[in-house]
Amino acid sequence: MSGAFTKSMARNIFYGGTVFFFLLFLALSFDTHSQLPKRDMRQNITPQVAEGKKLWEVNNCIGCHTLMGEGAYFAPELGNVVVRYGEEGTKAFIQARPKEGIPGRRSMPQFNFTDEQLDAIVAFLKHVNSINDANWPPNSQG
Amino acid sequence: MQYKSQAVAKPYFIAAIGLFVGQILFGLILGLQYVLGDFLFPAIPFNVARMVHTNLLIVWLLFGFMGGAYYMIPEESETELFSPKLALAMFWIFLVAGALTIVGYLAVPYATLAELTGNSLLETMGREFLEQPLPTKLGIVVVALAFLFNITLTVLKGKKTSISIVLLLGLWGLAVFFLFSFYNPVNVVLDKFFWWWTVHLWVEGVWELILGSFLAFVLIKTTGVDREVIEKWLYVIVTLTLITGIIGTGHHYFWIGTPEYWQWWGSIFSALEPIPFFAMTVFAFNMVNRRRREHPNKAAVLWALGTGVMSFLGAGVWGFLHTLAPVNYYTHGTQITAAHGHMAFYGAYAMVNLMMISYAMPILRGRAANSNKSQVLEMWSFWLMTVAIVFITLFLTAAGILQVWLQRVSDAPLPFMVAQDKIALFYWMREWAGVAFLVGLIVYIASFFVGGEEKQA
Amino acid sequence: MSNTTSLPTSEAPAARRLPGDLAIWVFILSEMLVFAVFFAAYAFARAKNVELFNEYQQTVNRDLGALNTFLLITGSWFVVRAVQAAHRDDLPAVPRNILLGFLCGGGFVVVKIIEYAAKFGAGITLSTNTFYMFYISLTFFHFMHVILGMVILAVIWVQARKGAYTSRDAHGLESGAAYWHMVDLLWIILFPLVYVMR
Repeated sequence: MSGAFTKSMARNIFYGGTVFFFLLFLALSFDTHSQLPKRDMRQNITPQVAEGKKLWEVNNCIGCHTLMGEGAYFAPELGNVVVRYGEEGTKAFIQARPKEGIPGRRSMPQFNFTDEQLDAIVAFLKHVNSINDANWPPNSQG
Repeated sequence: MQYKSQAVAKPYFIAAIGLFVGQILFGLILGLQYVLGDFLFPAIPFNVARMVHTNLLIVWLLFGFMGGAYYMIPEESETELFSPKLALAMFWIFLVAGALTIVGYLAVPYATLAELTGNSLLETMGREFLEQPLPTKLGIVVVALAFLFNITLTVLKGKKTSISIVLLLGLWGLAVFFLFSFYNPVNVVLDKFFWWWTVHLWVEGVWELILGSFLAFVLIKTTGVDREVIEKWLYVIVTLTLITGIIGTGHHYFWIGTPEYWQWWGSIFSALEPIPFFAMTVFAFNMVNRRRREHPNKAAVLWALGTGVMSFLGAGVWGFLHTLAPVNYYTHGTQITAAHGHMAFYGAYAMVNLMMISYAMPILRGRAANSNKSQVLEMWSFWLMTVAIVFITLFLTAAGILQVWLQRVSDAPLPFMVAQDKIALFYWMREWAGVAFLVGLIVYIASFFVGGEEKQA
Repeated sequence: MSNTTSLPTSEAPAARRLPGDLAIWVFILSEMLVFAVFFAAYAFARAKNVELFNEYQQTVNRDLGALNTFLLITGSWFVVRAVQAAHRDDLPAVPRNILLGFLCGGGFVVVKIIEYAAKFGAGITLSTNTFYMFYISLTFFHFMHVILGMVILAVIWVQARKGAYTSRDAHGLESGAAYWHMVDLLWIILFPLVYVMR
């Protein structure tokens, strides 16, 4: 079968196809960027929210919890925790964690946050909850 | 071994296996913490153990990729490595940096680690899989660049085969997309959007080029099938991978605040993602069936076939199970995802590295293949680990289905922890399957030391 | 014409064979699969929102769509003529017909841009509604295929001018032609589906 299957053809398609789909991906990403301001509530990102995100990160909360479904699956979703527990309830929960854990149970560490830090964390979680994420999670249990 | 400089691969392979052991041990700790919540608390909380587990996975796979590349490239390019010394230096730098990072995770609270390592200069920490402190991230970039420099110059001064070109593209892509780990905007939607440019475009994009290239190399060596044929199919498979996988990123953009058209784009393209994995399986079996020689290293061939099948099952089938947006709405962020992750990583990337090690290590130790006794043991370890991961996946899937039902679908959704308690039985079974995996890994390591009569190189 | 779907056999070169490379057929089939899934998704979404789809389908420019259908079919015709010319070793006719096919593709692109300019100018985006999501996604995805097809035609044109395709070996030409026909075929499904059928 006279060259019915050439390697150079396959190679050209590989390069062409990759560039093609990457460009398409860039186009979609570009459109996403123009749409995001309508969904991500960026106008509400105060310094306090930013501080909350930082605290979220440096304490590696995502190592146990999920946020909008992403993270570890050891502990509850927190993107909607302010709906589940309320702002004060969320703060009280974080504050009340026993240092040595609860015998036999999964336990959250005691992080010894100050009141300002707790406010910032809750402000961040409240912000995440306000993001238009296509109505996820299905119910308040996350 | 045809080229002296291929020997630098050896320490990389040994380190990879050592870190793999660490990964599995921490996996067992995690599995136990799922059922005995206070196990090792507060000394090693879950998040720390998980970070160690996933980071060790990434690092050992990277060691395997680098070792594999150092072994393969001189042979493909038909020339000595550009600089074996640089390769060795980078080995030690990477190993020490990796070890220090793990020690850092375990020795001090994460927030303290962040403070000590200058996270405030550029906040990149605390995001899943990218938890490494800034100096480690920079170290990874330096090591990756030095490695790429070394490999690229070797290819440039030697023969440029399709296999090495695909490998180079994969490795360069790996380095380029890692740069997105330095971008952490305060806007959490953007943060997540670009986080996937590292994570997804690695594992469902450029890493698959590395996988395909390794597989093609070992198939050429062990089956004796014409290089032209294998390289053609390599191109076909990696093309299918990228045309489905790049837009397939969209399956992560369903529920994180991104526009809703991603539900369509992501579902459509990722529904096609099993195709390249299926093609890879067919390819591996086809080439082995058309073999023109009987390579003495049966174990390597077994790993090659295994990686095809298991990556198809883990990445292809288990990925497809929950990739369609209406399904994912309920399964997103549950044990279903964990089930998929375990089998996909083992099937695609752990196994392809073990295949490369299986093929290259005997040659690096001066023989064509290990003794029959050693190979039998290695094949036992293959089956033990593979069957164990199948059971881990099945138990996690069962746990996930129940979790979705109890917590998301039922008329009276249960709180997270209540649902978790109800599915504890499956976590216990998962843990036992994990123990079986560890046994398989011990057998695997033992296979390096049993001796017996070896075939000469 | 050797236009058949039977697999090539090495034993009987004179037998009916698949034109072009087998590799290009692998990709043509996978591309058609992508579109098939996309079309199925469209049908699925439409079934759930028939009224919305019918309402907004009125707003798309069917005349320009029809003009584009004509352009693509004409382009395909030129490409067929190029392949036939190569088979009878009429070498100057090969690049000429490819160029004409390429120009038809160019016409399609211009018409499409006019159509898009009107829609985007009216502030329509992927996020406007489900119908427009599909309208833009499908037509833009196809639009990019037209551009890729034109790139392929351009490469073939350059080769054809060097006299690369003859009755003895026209594989490259046939492969490119097959791809272009696929782009055409997809539009022939897409146009009625998105523009006309209600």
